[in-house]
Amino acid sequence: MSTDAGLRSRGRRLPLRTAVLVAVVTVLLLLVPWVFGAFTVMTFTRALVFAVLAMSVNLLTGVAGMPTLGQAAYFGVGAYTGALVGIHWSELGVVQLALATLAGVVAAVLTGPLAIRGRGVAFLMITLAIGEIGYTAAGRLDSVTGGTDGMSGIPPVVVTPGGSGLVNEGLIYYYVLVVAAVSYAAVAVLLRSPFGLTLRGLRDNESRLRSVGYRTDSYALAAYVYAGGLAALAGSLWASSQRFVAPGDLGFEISALALLAVIVGGVGSMWGACLGALLVVFTRDYLGQQLSGHAPLLLGILFVLTVYLLPQGVAGGRAQWRRLFPKDHGGDPGTVTPT
Amino acid sequence: MTTRRTTYLLALTAASTLALGACGGGTLGGGGDEGGEEADGTIKIGLLVPQSGVYKSLGDDMRAGFEVYLEEHDNTLGGLEVEVVLADEGETAESGKAAADKLVKQDQVTVVTGVVSSAVMNGVVDLFETSKIPLVGSNASPTTLTDAEFIWRTSYVNDEPGEALGAYVAENVDGGVYFLAADYQAGKDEVSGFKKSFEPAGGETVDEVYTPFPATTNFQPFLANAKASGAEALFSFYAGGAAVEFVKQYDQFGLKGEIAHYSAGFLTEGGVLDGQGASAEGTFTAMNYNYDLDNELNASFVEAYVAKTDRNPTTYAMASYDAAKVLDLAIEAAGEADPEAINTAIGEISEIESPRGTWTWSEIGTPVQTWYLREVKEVDGTLTNVIIDELGELGG
Amino acid sequence: MTGWLDAHLVSMVDGVAYGLLLFTLAVGLSLVFGMMDVLNLAHGTLYLAGAYTAYALSDGSWLGLLVALLVGLLVGLAGGGLLAAAVAPLQGRGHLDQAALTLGIALIAAEVMAMFFGAEVLPTAPPGSLARSVSVLDHSYPLYRLVFIAVAGVLAVLVYLAFERSSVGALVRATVADRDMVRAMGVDTRKVLFGVFAFGAVLATVGGVLGAPIIAPGPGIDDRVLVLSLVVIVIGGLGSVRGALLGALLIGQVQTLGVALTPAFAPFLLFGAMLLVLVLRPQGLSSLGRA
Repeated sequence: MSTDAGLRSRGRRLPLRTAVLVAVVTVLLLLVPWVFGAFTVMTFTRALVFAVLAMSVNLLTGVAGMPTLGQAAYFGVGAYTGALVGIHWSELGVVQLALATLAGVVAAVLTGPLAIRGRGVAFLMITLAIGEIGYTAAGRLDSVTGGTDGMSGIPPVVVTPGGSGLVNEGLIYYYVLVVAAVSYAAVAVLLRSPFGLTLRGLRDNESRLRSVGYRTDSYALAAYVYAGGLAALAGSLWASSQRFVAPGDLGFEISALALLAVIVGGVGSMWGACLGALLVVFTRDYLGQQLSGHAPLLLGILFVLTVYLLPQGVAGGRAQWRRLFPKDHGGDPGTVTPT
Repeated sequence: MTTRRTTYLLALTAASTLALGACGGGTLGGGGDEGGEEADGTIKIGLLVPQSGVYKSLGDDMRAGFEVYLEEHDNTLGGLEVEVVLADEGETAESGKAAADKLVKQDQVTVVTGVVSSAVMNGVVDLFETSKIPLVGSNASPTTLTDAEFIWRTSYVNDEPGEALGAYVAENVDGGVYFLAADYQAGKDEVSGFKKSFEPAGGETVDEVYTPFPATTNFQPFLANAKASGAEALFSFYAGGAAVEFVKQYDQFGLKGEIAHYSAGFLTEGGVLDGQGASAEGTFTAMNYNYDLDNELNASFVEAYVAKTDRNPTTYAMASYDAAKVLDLAIEAAGEADPEAINTAIGEISEIESPRGTWTWSEIGTPVQTWYLREVKEVDGTLTNVIIDELGELGG
Repeated sequence: MTGWLDAHLVSMVDGVAYGLLLFTLAVGLSLVFGMMDVLNLAHGTLYLAGAYTAYALSDGSWLGLLVALLVGLLVGLAGGGLLAAAVAPLQGRGHLDQAALTLGIALIAAEVMAMFFGAEVLPTAPPGSLARSVSVLDHSYPLYRLVFIAVAGVLAVLVYLAFERSSVGALVRATVADRDMVRAMGVDTRKVLFGVFAFGAVLATVGGVLGAPIIAPGPGIDDRVLVLSLVVIVIGGLGSVRGALLGALLIGQVQTLGVALTPAFAPFLLFGAMLLVLVLRPQGLSSLGRA
């Protein structure tokens, strides 16, 4: 599967188109708060946070070939850290983001050596165990986390020292958007580096890498830690945008949805993961609320349709979209950005 | 696909997005309205209850209770025609919060009622306090929620069912009490509430164990430990599916008849009692309501509720019925569909006549009400909760 | 020592009942994974379908149970066949696509079942003559669970013998180990795969019919038994009947005896045990054919 062709080929073959694309997507994203009402903007905010988490999952699953069901644990570490920093110490967004990311990195350094003992399904199940233990622990440590009823009273996030807190949904959206864009860039840079190439090698043929002298476990751990930090960053954004954190945010459902968003988007493609996150969040929170109480059904249909109709996900390339729309009539934003 | 076509399509997408949004108006710059204003003489009320997931049956009861009140009053509250906007609370704090966001931000309701889960209640405090929209909750009521200005509850406080029972058990049980509760905040609140009145009355605690929730379906190891502990009585907190399993296994593993079982009323409330069957017989529970309460309003409420749903009302349905009553009185007093005026009017209601008996607001916006001791008994061939004693008044 | 044994004997017996129930679920999941490389996340749905069948059909009589078993068998065949057909076009596309597809199917099926059976947990009564408790060394214990241990134990032995000792079993094991080789020998592996899928599904639905009085059907039960089965098969080793049995019995004890001994750590035991096994032996306790 040439899944990460997106990031690489765009830069090399079609710089102009890439530039146009990036510009248009940026403008569209910037327009959101001016166009839509508060609830839709909040849904976009949730989707962006989820997109950062999906990128973290994709880094492990799609790039390094290690499917994970435990990223919600680091997401939760970041969310609680961001919230605690906000409540007790600093309302400044940069401080919260930095400390949350640091906490995620530390958590991943501590737990990563366990996780990378296995590959494939074993890795998947170890990460599942880490996620579930994290979820249970969050509910139990009530003196720190507020227990199962969650932690409220998180102050609005402040962007510049001395500024006032962000309360307007549109401004919160911009805050999340900027951080998400920076994370996207950080991941893109990582993937173009030699380290990124080695991670793909880890996915494609680990034993060959090992035989030519790479210490593959170190690379796997490094990817795990990077992904953990990224998930924690997303968690801090979550705490700032929702101003409420509960153990459910570390739950299996979040990890599973993030993994499914990656699959829907197209395993390995970062913008695919973001688009997948958007699709999943809008299906669940937006369509699900319109059709009261049937969000799981809608998600189920989304997954089944994607697997059959788009074998390589939304980001899967021109051929599969051609097959789907033989006469090439598409109005869906997904159709205009194949690789 | 050529570059030109790509650009063309993107432009088209951008244009259609703008066109779509133009109908609504943006969050920044625009008014931020998506739902629009109510027509004169109507009021939009958000009903936030689970319509999916494990709490769905509670949500169904609360919805039915609210609708019974509306049907009795020609679909008006305080003289205004009511438009109910349903939102699905779902199972988690996340889904509940998203639903509340939708009601307040998109549908622009004037007031909201419902909310089953305590985690959701905690998660939406900020939303209602900053939007200055009243939430008349009809179930969830965490003990930590004490200083909200716009949040009211017609139910109880989470630790009250336990507190109501503690002193009674201390006086009537000769020996130690074993605690088993679902491992989440409400379970811990219930146990600490129980101890609040149990320990001063000289009660003796044997052990206190919390079972994983909702993962536990097999209570055998916990029940074996309770049985081996030599306790005279058990105090438990379970609701929904876990309550059914717990009560059945309590019987199967031989604790029934040996160790008296006291619990917060949710254990045997509503549909779960059918599932428990004869295993539930002899269970004592504390509750603020029972459908057999002898007063005129309750009689008419039960009649209307049974006619609508074909089952007896639960405390969840009753609290939701009362929420409608509170709104009726407050909207009447406010005279218009204005959230802040209605919120002020809610606080000024001096007493509410309810199927549970007349109650008043406590300082933290919860009912001051009488609690009852109930026992599960067979009446005319069906198992049902029967009030056997009063446990005094709480909330003052 | 005898005091300790006396206090925890019932928990150990219950662990066997629980473990055997998990085995009927996990063995199908494990073989389907071992043979087809399919991670079937709709496996819990099959249990739930079986348990709802038992709820709908068994009326406390032996005949009711028999009818429920037969219908459960058909439901399992149909469900297994449908799932096998659904994942067939995905051959060679990796676990993730199959996981997404089967999870999607599970979500849809869960909604459909919730429409028919509602949101309550529906306790299912065993046949009247088994619906009581008996005394096991002075401890009250449900008779149904004892009978279940006997029935599921026989079932487990039969499955084990069929796979480890019969020629069909040898074919299945060979397919797990090297599908291409078996195909090269002229065997239609698709038939073997369909057969194993249907067999695993039938075991799960029959497990559901028999297990309904122990783990009652209700929304969310599909997820819970799925996660338990996944834990069992990775602990045991994928694609192995022996591993599934070993893992199931171990998890059964962890979930009963372990909980009774350390109730304060109950929520951590299941995943803690799995973590321990996987960290020490990532390929599981007993793995066949795959390293």
